[in-house]
Order: sequence, then C-alpha cells, then structure tokens
Amino acid sequence: MKTGTLIRALAADTALGRRPETLLLTGLLVSVGVMLLSLWLTLGFRADLAGAIGDPLSAFRFVLAGSLALISLRLIRDLTRPERAGRVRLWPLAVVLAAALAVMAWAALTTPPEAFRMALFGKTAVICLIAIPLLSLVPVAVIMAALRRGATTAPALAGGVAGLCGGGLAAMVYALYCTEKSPLFYVTWYGLGIIGVTLASALIGARLLRW
Amino acid sequence: MQVERAMAMDDWADLLAAANSGDARAYERFLLSVTPVLRGIVRARGHSLGEAGCEDVVQDVLLAIHLKRHTWTVGAPVRPWLYAITRYKVIDAFRARGRRIDLPLEDYSAELVADPGPDPTEAADMARLIAMLGERSATIVRKIGLEGATVAETGQSLRMSEGAVRVALHRALKALAVLRKRHVE
Repeated sequence: MKTGTLIRALAADTALGRRPETLLLTGLLVSVGVMLLSLWLTLGFRADLAGAIGDPLSAFRFVLAGSLALISLRLIRDLTRPERAGRVRLWPLAVVLAAALAVMAWAALTTPPEAFRMALFGKTAVICLIAIPLLSLVPVAVIMAALRRGATTAPALAGGVAGLCGGGLAAMVYALYCTEKSPLFYVTWYGLGIIGVTLASALIGARLLRW
Repeated sequence: MQVERAMAMDDWADLLAAANSGDARAYERFLLSVTPVLRGIVRARGHSLGEAGCEDVVQDVLLAIHLKRHTWTVGAPVRPWLYAITRYKVIDAFRARGRRIDLPLEDYSAELVADPGPDPTEAADMARLIAMLGERSATIVRKIGLEGATVAETGQSLRMSEGAVRVALHRALKALAVLRKRHVE
C-alpha cells in the first residue's frame, strides 16, 4: 500500500483523542475519596486523629508522602508528552529520599536501645505492607489510564512514577489509621510498601504504556 | 535554506493546529509535508530494511502521529514533539525487526531534513493488515484511501450514516495500530 493512500485515510478521520489532564486530576480526586472510604470501612481511622499530627517528628510522614505524590504528579504530567519524557528531572525525588533517611537517622540516634526494636518493627508492619499496595491500586490504575491517553516515550519510567504517586497517596491515607509513632517504623515500612508498588508499576508500565 | 526550513516549521504548527480543530484538508497537507522528512530519517538509518521495509516504518510513524496528535499543544513547537514520536516509533520498529538503532535524543535539527530522493514508496505490511480488519472496516479504509472517496460518498455506497463511517474509520485506524504492533512483534 502506498503511503499517500494511508495519508488520505488518516486525514478523513477527524476524531481526536482525549487529553490526559482531566482524567488525571478528577480521577485522582475520586481515588482519594475511594481510598478514604476503603480505609474507613476496613481498618477504620485511628481514634485520636489529632494525635496523628500532634508530634512533628511523627507527622512528618504526611510531608514526606505528600511531597512524593506531588513531585510524581508533576513528573507524570511531563511524561504524558512525548517530547518531555526523555528529559524529566528526577532529582527532587532524591531530596525526599534524603529527608526520609535523615529523619530516620535522627530517630535512630534518639531512640533508647531498649526501645529500638519496638520502634522499628511496631505491631502493624505486616498490615502496613498489605494496606499500602492495596490502597494504591485505585490511584495507580487512574494514572495508568491517563498515561495511556498521552504518548509517553518512557513507558517503564512512567509506570514507576505512577506507582510512586499512587503509593505516596496511599501512604498518606494509611497514616490516618496507623498509630506507630517512630520514623524508624514509617520510613521503613511505608517506604518498603511504596517501593514495592513502584517496582510493580514500572514492570506493568513497561508493557501497558507502550503504543 | 535555513529561512525556508524555518518557514516550513511555522507552517507545520499552523497546519497541525487547524487539523486538530477539525480541518481535514489542513491535516492532509500537514501529513504530506512531514512525510518526506520522516522518510529521510528512516532511510538514513535503515538501508538494511530495504525500500519497502523503510516505508513500513514510515507508515508506522504516521499512524502513531495520527493517533497521538492530541498530545501536541497549540503554541508548542511542533519539531521536538514530532521528532520524539518519530524516534520512539523508529526505535520500536527496528527493535521489532531484530535490529538495533541509535537515534540521538537531543540533536533532531540535523535529522529533520527532507529526503531528496523520489517518492515511489509502496510498503509491504499495511495492505495485509488492512485485510485483517474485518470486511466493513477494510472497505472503508480502502474506499477513502485508495479511491479517494469522501466520508459522505463512502457512507452512501455502504448505506451507513456519515457519523457511523467516521466512527468506524477511527476504530479501524486504532485497530490497525494494535494489529501492527502485535503483527511485527
């Protein structure tokens, strides 16, 4: 078939694909609602919600997870566009990682040796490792759908960043249940949960986001 | 030469903007004017594929541009956008055919020069894939593409409404992109 033939057929098709932005934003708002509802129906919120933000060192988890989600969201917007995907800047994520490790190191230094084990392992590590990936399913699915409407030229990276954003949002929601106080706990277990979601999403993205 | 090329680029932005707001003739002009440039990129890198093989890749790229043209924002430069899509699809096409290719990420200025060669260009894959689309879709694509029929004429001869032909055509082209991927991989 000649290329001119194809071009005539293409030109006759005036239907335009939909841009990803609207789906991304409304979808994520809905996802947050769904995550809050799921948490409320299963684990429930912690009894003293104010206690979640009372202790700055403990509340810092919201800052970490929130900045992770926001930075990733920004990256996702770039990754939907073919010409931007090759040159996204990932260093802001390293800043969040450094802050997480710093607050964890601070906690390690200030926790008395006899309390260290309890501070690190807590009582809910397993629940945390299950809940964060489960909660993240909805936002990650929304972000993947939005990315598919775009044209990313870095499918695995885009998938990974989708996981990071969804994992960050899920961690923020999960923190409304979690009563473990120490950064030793939350950096470790929230972190592992988010990393798991990120790796799985990168693998899925590498297949799902190709076009 | 520089000025001429710069003007052609401005032209691309205008044509693509018009195309994305529904102007089929502007869109056809846009595709016709980018095709030699795409062909230049593909041929410069892929002599080993042969002429028909190269044209297959060019058609891959055109189909991708078509289905992703909404990701270009009015006012943004066309060139980096176009080159990014081209680079992605060319690398993909070569990988699917078991070959490696090295296209620079940044330096697209040197790449975007039209191939001065002639334009004979029969590709191998597309006709076979269209045949896999299913009777009605294949007929629509052929009528409009080969015979140059309008959407309205196609609708009349198939006893379909114009809207139905448009929807079927759009679906057919999307299916074609999926088939191409599955088929060459």
